[in-house]
This record gives sequence, C-alpha cells and structure tokens, in this order.
Amino acid sequence: MNLPGKLIYGWKAIVVVIMATLAPVAPAMAQGETVCVQCHSTQSGRALKPVKPWQGSIHAENGISCHNCHGGDPKDAANAMNPERGFLGAPRETGIPAFCGRCHIGIKGDFITSAHGRALGQGGPTCVTCHGSHEIRKATLDLINEKSCTQCHSYDRARTIRQAMEQTENTLSSLAGRLESFKGQGVDTLPLEKRLFSQRNRYRSLFHEVDTVKVKDESAKIALELTALKTVLDKIDSEHRQRRIIGVFAVAATLLAALLLLLLRRTYSR
Amino acid sequence: MPFLKKIYRWLNVRIGADEILEQELTGYRLPANINGWYSLGSVLLFALALQVVSGILLLVYYVPDADKAFASVTAIMNQVPFGWLIRMCHAVGSNLMVLVLILHMLSVLFMGSYKRPRELSWLSGFMLLNLVMAISLTGYLLPWSQLSFWATTVATNSFGAIPVVGGFLVEFLRGGKLVGPQTLGRFFALHVALIPLGIGALVGLHLFLLKRVGVSAPPFGLSDTGNQWQGDRYRYEDHPDGIPFFPNFVVKDLISICLYLAFLLLVVFFNPFIFFPKDAFIPANPFQTPAHIKPEWYFLANYQTLKIFPSELLGLTAQGVAMTFLALLPFIDRGRERHPLKRPLFLACSIGGIAVWIGLTIWGHYS
Repeated sequence: MNLPGKLIYGWKAIVVVIMATLAPVAPAMAQGETVCVQCHSTQSGRALKPVKPWQGSIHAENGISCHNCHGGDPKDAANAMNPERGFLGAPRETGIPAFCGRCHIGIKGDFITSAHGRALGQGGPTCVTCHGSHEIRKATLDLINEKSCTQCHSYDRARTIRQAMEQTENTLSSLAGRLESFKGQGVDTLPLEKRLFSQRNRYRSLFHEVDTVKVKDESAKIALELTALKTVLDKIDSEHRQRRIIGVFAVAATLLAALLLLLLRRTYSR
Repeated sequence: MPFLKKIYRWLNVRIGADEILEQELTGYRLPANINGWYSLGSVLLFALALQVVSGILLLVYYVPDADKAFASVTAIMNQVPFGWLIRMCHAVGSNLMVLVLILHMLSVLFMGSYKRPRELSWLSGFMLLNLVMAISLTGYLLPWSQLSFWATTVATNSFGAIPVVGGFLVEFLRGGKLVGPQTLGRFFALHVALIPLGIGALVGLHLFLLKRVGVSAPPFGLSDTGNQWQGDRYRYEDHPDGIPFFPNFVVKDLISICLYLAFLLLVVFFNPFIFFPKDAFIPANPFQTPAHIKPEWYFLANYQTLKIFPSELLGLTAQGVAMTFLALLPFIDRGRERHPLKRPLFLACSIGGIAVWIGLTIWGHYS
C-alpha cells in the first residue's frame, strides 16, 4: 500500500474506532418486542413458523403484535397463553372472518355478504386464503391473481373485476402521492385527504365484491369523484407554477436593480 | 414639490436638517479602501426590518394558542392573500439573517476590526448573534407542528444538563415539566416582545458605537496594517480622505441589499422547503415522536457536540468555553497586527475553528 493509501486506511480505522466508541449501546430487547416473539423465536417447527412472516407484515409495521389478535399477556412469559389472561389461540375456519373482523369491521361486512362469505364453511375461502395468516401485506389489487383465484375457480371473472378496478387503483395511488407532496409544501390537504380517504374506502369495499356489473358501475362513479379531486390538485399545481413565474420576474427585477446601481456606482469618481 | 420644499424648510429652520444631512450623509467619510464586506451590516439591518414587517403581518392572523396555532398558520399559508409569501419570507429570512450575521462576524474577525477600541462593538455584535439565535429558536415553536414541538423538546432538554439549576431552568423555560400550551405562551412572548426589545436596544448600541468610535479601515492595500489606537484618550477614527457615505457607500449598500433580496426571493419562490422538513406541516402530537428530529442548521453543531461527548454536561461545557472564548476574543487577542496573513496563529485557529463547526454541522445533519 502506498503512503496516501495507508493514510486514508489509517484515518478510516480511526473514524471506525471513534464511531464504535461513541455509538449508543444497543438495548438488550428491541422496543415493543413481546414475550410471545421472544419465546417463539427460540423454538422450532410450527411454533417458530409465524415469527418471521409476521415481522415482515403490515401488522408488524403498524405495531399490531401477536396479543392484539390472539390475546394473552405479552409481558408475562409464564401466563402469556393463559386463557384467564384473554388468550384466544388460533380460530376455527368458520370463525376466521369474525376473528379478523374485530378490527376490520367494514371489510368483514363486505366479505360476509359476498359470494365468498356466503360459502363460508362450505369450501369457500376465508380471509387467510387470500391475505395469508401472518405474512399479511397491504391489501392491493395484486391479491386478485391467477394463482390465488384458481385454487377454487377459473380466473375469468376475477380478471374482469381486476381490470375494472386497475384504473381506479392507479388514480388513487397517483392522487395520494400528489397529496403527500402538496402536504410537504404547506398546502392544506386535510379536506382533500378526507375526500380521497372516502373514495378509497368505497373502492376497498369492492375488493370482496364478485358481481362484475356492480364493480364496473361503482368503479365508474369513483372515477368521477377522483376526476373532480384531480381538478382541484391541478388547480393548486397551476397556482404554484404561477408563483414560480412571478418569482422569476421578482428575482430578475432585484438583480436588474443591483446591476443598475452598480453602473451608477461606477459613475462616481471615488 | 413646492409643498414638500416648504415642509423641509419648515423643519430645517427648526432642527437644522441641512446640517444633519451634511454631517451624517455627505460629510460622513468612510475609508477609501472600504470593501463589500462592510455592506453586510446594512444588509442585516434590512433583513431585520423585513423580519419585523413580515412578523407584524403574521401577527394579524396567527393565534398563539396550542389548539389553534397550527390551524392559524395553515390558514395563513392557504387562505390569507399572499400569506404563504409573508410566512416564507419570515421563515427563510430568519435563516438567511443568521447566515449573514455569521458572515458579518467572520469579516470583522478576519479584518481584525474587533480589536481595541472596538471591544464593545464586538461584544454587542456577539450578543446580537445570540439573541438572533434565541429569537429563531422561540419562533420555531410557534407553528406548533411536529417539528416545532419536538425540536423545542430536544432544545429545552439540553438545559437540564446544567448542574444544580438545570431542572429548574428546563421547567422555567417550558412553564411545566413538558413542552405544552404554556411553553407556547412563553415562547410567543419572548419571540414578539422581549427578545425584539433586546435586539432593538443592542442594534442601537452597536450603531452608536460605530458612529462614536468610527469605522475601522480594512487592513488590505495598506502599508501599515497595525492597529493605530493609542489608548491614551478617546479619539474618533475619521477618514478625511475617504469616500462619502452618501451617495457612494449607500449605493454599495443598496447593491448588497438587492443581491440579498434576490437570493431570498430565489429561495422563497423556488425552494423554501430546504428549511421545512415534512414534519413542519404535521400538527404537534405529544404522543408521537418523529423518527429524525433535527434542529435548524445553525444549531446542528451544538446538537452534534452534545451527542459526541459522553455526557451532556461535558458537551454544554465545551460549547460554553468556545462561546466565552469567542465573546472575549478582543480581550485575549491584544496584538496590534490586523492583516490576517500576518497573523498565522490567528489564521490557523480561525480556519480550524470554522472547519470544526462546518464538520460538526454536516455530521449533525447526517447523524
């Protein structure tokens, strides 16, 4: 190694040592970790199986831990699975919609009244058939896919439904992104967010609908509302563009004034 | 016009306006080799005036109540005609004012203008820097956003490291154990009344000293770059062969002010959000700590210093020592020489100090 290389290497080593010395000591137990996760992580087979999928799930991302669904005491290892502490365990197949529906109340209603829900206990799907039990991700249109749907029936109708909803999904994502960007610029997005939230809920309620005509009709109505929302956002964009044009003139005017003053200054003898 | 002339004449025969104008403008001479750095004082006065005017306009609509503050700022940004422009000018202006203030101090430092007999000018300027930082800190809380709430929590927490009085000081600043509505009331009073009064008084003193002691000539382009002060009696440092303040230097000041304004408008119209992270537009929530709360850029070095020392007390002590050294510099550096290149020790220490400050600021930003 040449001298500059050695010096750089030496500096890097010093920086690493300093950083290591100054780094805060990692806590023994990560914040929010329950005895359920601690214990199940050390086990093998079926008992270990839920841990990793849950850790990568939207539930974990939002702080929904084992005890929020399965009950029990997440702070007391000895009584964690004690029914007296509210431990419920895993639900039976027919009990799954009610189990998940304790939190997802509206969705439960949509499911129960759908063709899927009506076939509950008669070979029909439950929540976990499409969403999984522990590896639950944010619900998107991707859940309607050939692999999942053909477990029970052909994909034809599902494909039609998905195509009808795709445009709405894209518009919703695009509007959400634009709103987020406006929010970061101090725009009062709250009323617009509420409007979008309401349309997203309306759209989500179609997720469990299998009537293609209804899905198409409802998607068209949502699209109309979203177009109105887009018009509002376009107007804000246009205002921001106007501001920038005014800005160009304002900056140019002050720079021109500086230039004229500089020329005036040159006319003075001293 | 004849009417205005009549008013002027009316005034002139009563207060001698002609004499004042001659004495303070055309007859007021500045060093012939004066440079653009000397305009920074005028730029700062302009920036301060802009802050006062925009601040008063904001006061018309701002509500200093924890339940209404965020909504009132949102209304200023979205409903009040040109409210966004006024708020952005105020917020961006406060950042630029600190920047220009630092540049002004650096120019004084490198040109040796802080040396005797200008110790009081330096001290008053140094106190102004601290008050401007204090007014920025107190103003930071007023929008009552997540950023303001948590940045104030972090900033006031650090006072707790001071031995004996630390706990009392934190509670005194917050008006309670935690940052809350009572803190907003205190910071609002400090921001719009007490600190502006202090700044006004110190600006007055600073200008009085400037007029009383005289402007120091830059050490560049002169054969003798030593300090001419003899110390036996009061002498006004005049420059009979210098340039008149009006119109020559006033025009120079105006050029600098225009350039400052152009830069301010550039940031305000095109990217004011370099000073506004996303948390600045989310209402304060005492129950939800954002992941990466950082203070404003000019406090990042202090913030990082507190982090790198094993205890906050040591960090505070280090900052206290550095600030005391800077405040007392004219009493410590008593050499006659003013040219920076003829003061190698000073030059090395200054550049080293600035490099450490910039390094800590960058480290604080990315840490």
